[in-house]
Amino acid sequence: MTSYDRDRAEIADLMSRYLFAMDYNDYDAYADCFTQDGVLDYAAGVTRGREAIREEARVFKANVARLFTDSQGRPAKLRHLVHQKAIRIEGDRAWHTGMWWEMTNGGPEGSLATPSFGTYQDELERVDGRWLFSRRRINNEFLEGRETGSVNPVSALEPQG
Amino acid sequence: MPQASPQDYSEDYAADRAAIEDLMARYLFALDYNDMETFATMFTQDAAFDFARGRVEGLDNIIETVKAFKERIGAVYVDEDGKPAILRHVLAHCAIRIESDEAWTRAQWFEMANDGPGKSLKMGTFGIYEDRLRKVDGRWLFTERRILNDFLDGRHSGPTNPVRDMDDDAAAREGHAA
Repeated sequence: MTSYDRDRAEIADLMSRYLFAMDYNDYDAYADCFTQDGVLDYAAGVTRGREAIREEARVFKANVARLFTDSQGRPAKLRHLVHQKAIRIEGDRAWHTGMWWEMTNGGPEGSLATPSFGTYQDELERVDGRWLFSRRRINNEFLEGRETGSVNPVSALEPQG
Repeated sequence: MPQASPQDYSEDYAADRAAIEDLMARYLFALDYNDMETFATMFTQDAAFDFARGRVEGLDNIIETVKAFKERIGAVYVDEDGKPAILRHVLAHCAIRIESDEAWTRAQWFEMANDGPGKSLKMGTFGIYEDRLRKVDGRWLFTERRILNDFLDGRHSGPTNPVRDMDDDAAAREGHAA
């Protein structure tokens, strides 16, 4: 039996490693944050399985390189940030609702721009002693159809039976 | 079997991580509120500080350099009345690697100030911290703080995943110790 503090520390580290992997184009480290049959649910749709997620991360980064550019037309430096994290842990399963936003160097004359924010709604599983995402849903309040919604997203942390 | 992290997440890890996060929070308050006395308690005597103006070594040199830097920043970052702007550094997520009494971080920061039109909030720049820490008499201290800024030529982070570099560095140290 491990403590909540210990598990929360590992999950916080996982979330940090996830963001560095994504923002610095490390697709292998990104995919390794998911269980073998993990699910990624974001703006482009639902991707199932670690291998498919590895490829989807490449596609995502190629797309945002075209979408977010700096003032000289180069792919912008895009950084995602996670702030407050509500985490429920029961045995080898966990649930997380967290606040994210993003920033780039794509503003006028190379200044800092802040394109969007949203929430993460995650399910995690402990596999061979390691916490991994079994499902990550990324809500974005600036994308129609991808908003978090009007219900407190932390309610997703209640036991689902 | 791929691993999301080579860290051994022990109960001690959680306690050490909490202490390191607290140090990183106190560092930013000390810096932004010009509390150099407190700032000086956060580094080992032989620490290195590597930032926009270069690399300095030794606690006394670090304090002297940071004081001069703060004075210069007060002249560069001004609100629309020409007064030194209220500048705040903000810390977001931190990947923290801990091996007994040594630790490493990779952490996302950004800065903001009241130097926008009508003294409104204006976002400044962002970058990452690449730290090394040592636990001395039960307290975590910086032995090296490297501050990268993605808006300053020659000071950019990446392009490789900084966390991968951190894990390689930790693995090399472990090998050396063994």
